[in-house]
Amino acid sequence: MHDPSKKMPGETAFAVVLVGLSGFLLWQAILISGFEALSSPGAFPMAAAFAMLVTSVAILIKTLRLRERMALRFFTDVAPPVILAMFAMMLGYALLLKPLGFLPTSLLFLTLSIFALRRRGLLWSFGVSLASLALVYVIFRLVFTVLMPSGLVPEGEILAWLGNLFSGGDTQ
Amino acid sequence: MTEALQFFLISWLDLKLLGLVALGTFAGIYVGAIPGLSVTMAVSILISFTFAWDVYPALCLMVGIYMGGVYGGSRTAILLNIPGAPSAIATALDGYPLAQKGQAGEAIGLSTVMSFVGGFIGIGVLAVAAPFVSEFALTFQPRDYMLLAILGILLVGSLSGESLLKGVFAGALGLLIGAVGLDPLTAEERFTFGMVELWGGISFIAVMIGLFGVSEALTQLHHIDKAAVKQTIGRIVPSWRAVGKYLPLSLQTSSIGVIIGALPGTGGDIAALMAYDHAKRVTKKPEVPFGEGAAEGLVAPETANNAAVGGAFIPMLTLGIPGDAVTAIIIGAMFIHGLNPGPMLMIEQPQMFWFITGALVLANIFMLIFGLTGIRLFTKIVEMPRAVLIPLILLLSIVGAYAVNNSITDVYWMLLFGAFGYLLKTYGYQVGPVILGVILSRLIDENWRRAIISEQEDLGRLFMGVLTSPLSLVLFGAVVFIFISQTPLWTGLRARFGTARARGDGV
Repeated sequence: MHDPSKKMPGETAFAVVLVGLSGFLLWQAILISGFEALSSPGAFPMAAAFAMLVTSVAILIKTLRLRERMALRFFTDVAPPVILAMFAMMLGYALLLKPLGFLPTSLLFLTLSIFALRRRGLLWSFGVSLASLALVYVIFRLVFTVLMPSGLVPEGEILAWLGNLFSGGDTQ
Repeated sequence: MTEALQFFLISWLDLKLLGLVALGTFAGIYVGAIPGLSVTMAVSILISFTFAWDVYPALCLMVGIYMGGVYGGSRTAILLNIPGAPSAIATALDGYPLAQKGQAGEAIGLSTVMSFVGGFIGIGVLAVAAPFVSEFALTFQPRDYMLLAILGILLVGSLSGESLLKGVFAGALGLLIGAVGLDPLTAEERFTFGMVELWGGISFIAVMIGLFGVSEALTQLHHIDKAAVKQTIGRIVPSWRAVGKYLPLSLQTSSIGVIIGALPGTGGDIAALMAYDHAKRVTKKPEVPFGEGAAEGLVAPETANNAAVGGAFIPMLTLGIPGDAVTAIIIGAMFIHGLNPGPMLMIEQPQMFWFITGALVLANIFMLIFGLTGIRLFTKIVEMPRAVLIPLILLLSIVGAYAVNNSITDVYWMLLFGAFGYLLKTYGYQVGPVILGVILSRLIDENWRRAIISEQEDLGRLFMGVLTSPLSLVLFGAVVFIFISQTPLWTGLRARFGTARARGDGV
């Protein structure tokens, strides 16, 4: 997608941000131990941050020199609504994961995002989400034994109950 | 020797390990085959789920995914003209024309068998060469490690992207991310901003999943409406005659693959392109011209990229220096499992080396089996709508980032690096050097300090040391050459040399 001979929307701003970031990090690296010794804890971070600053400034100069612009717009081609919306949904997922728990949050996330991307009816999206979540749950939670926050659904109790059911209840 | 064989066979005799290699290879083939989902993405997301495991099962899964993923990319390159992974770019050049002629089945069959041959040769070289390389590596000075690691980052930065400047920026950023936290030698705080949470550094998994999982999935959202193309596939298992005919070429291109794979910083993608070029030069009279469906153009890249897998394990296991982004991730995972790849690994834990070699051979065999079967299932999975696939990948990315430390902070880091990685990619920066930098940060930092302390903080003496040791001099020369090769002076010289040679040819 990126053509080095033409400027993309937002490219200059991004290059400026990277220069700022590099400068800030170099300043922070100097604060670690100053210029006391070549083997000090701050020497290597300073060298890395310096390399970042030099290259980012060179990139910025190159970007500023580009005359030709691509016929694109930032909010339609670089960060279109669909990407911003998906990213916002992931942020929402991270916020809700602890209070709601893994199963309800994941179901909500999958249903909404599949519905938004596919537009084939809410019920269809819900069905596909439920089936995929079941698969994810079996593979990652049961086979790979990954621990996720249980939240609203008393997952542990249900699993224990199921376990008891299969062991014939003779453990009690 | 019998001991080595014993360790070699561990994964073959344990049913659970055998199953995990099979599962990994299967998953690798299918993830590698889905356009846009690279093997790096598969390894980075799946590895995060294996941290609670013992080291053997975890390695089995990783090795399988790597081997399968490198091969899997060839499928979509042939069927859809969309390489599933960078290492399959050269495969599409002649593979897709074959599919257009209705010979997709034969093309897939031939590329599968040839990937198997290449994979085998790569592993063979690994088994023979690694013990020698690691013995040689014991003579390395700290400065050599430092130079080698810098060379690796520079090579990834200069070869995989549009400019060395952007590659160096990305690599340096990775080095800095790797330096966050308490300094391992003096416990001084670095970039922690007074936050205790940052003492342990930024989770490598969060950075990795963000850069390779989330940012790739976000990029794929641009192509959400692209429909999958359907293909009919006939005979798959190639004839003995065809295999025998291309065997000599495959042996040559396998050697290219192993050598390129073994160089730090270069992997299957470059190996495949160089092998394709080699095939073009040595095949004087192809039955079909190159680019229009020549079988040689399919055999060369496919053997080379799988041979590069074995090659890439050589610097990884003997020097602790990854060859590309995937091996960087595998090294990171090995660290977390308490293994320390480097020359001491071969001495202290030779069983680990033979175990990995055994698992690689097994993965190669599974690749052949799965490659020649299950075509129907394959086409179904590749045709899975992206509208379902991408949310699932994003979900797994979050689960993976959370699962390692049960920490929601890691999820936020992952999202941050996901968004940042997306912007980096959009504006033509490579993300591979970032992850290589994160992994190599500590190695460079420690070896730099060891080197400079042993020279009593004297830069001049360090420089003299570099100039008087042949190995250091070669490594230093290579680093300098990469910089010079990117300057206008070099391009000018090359252009002049090129025209002179062309004139010489004409005479």
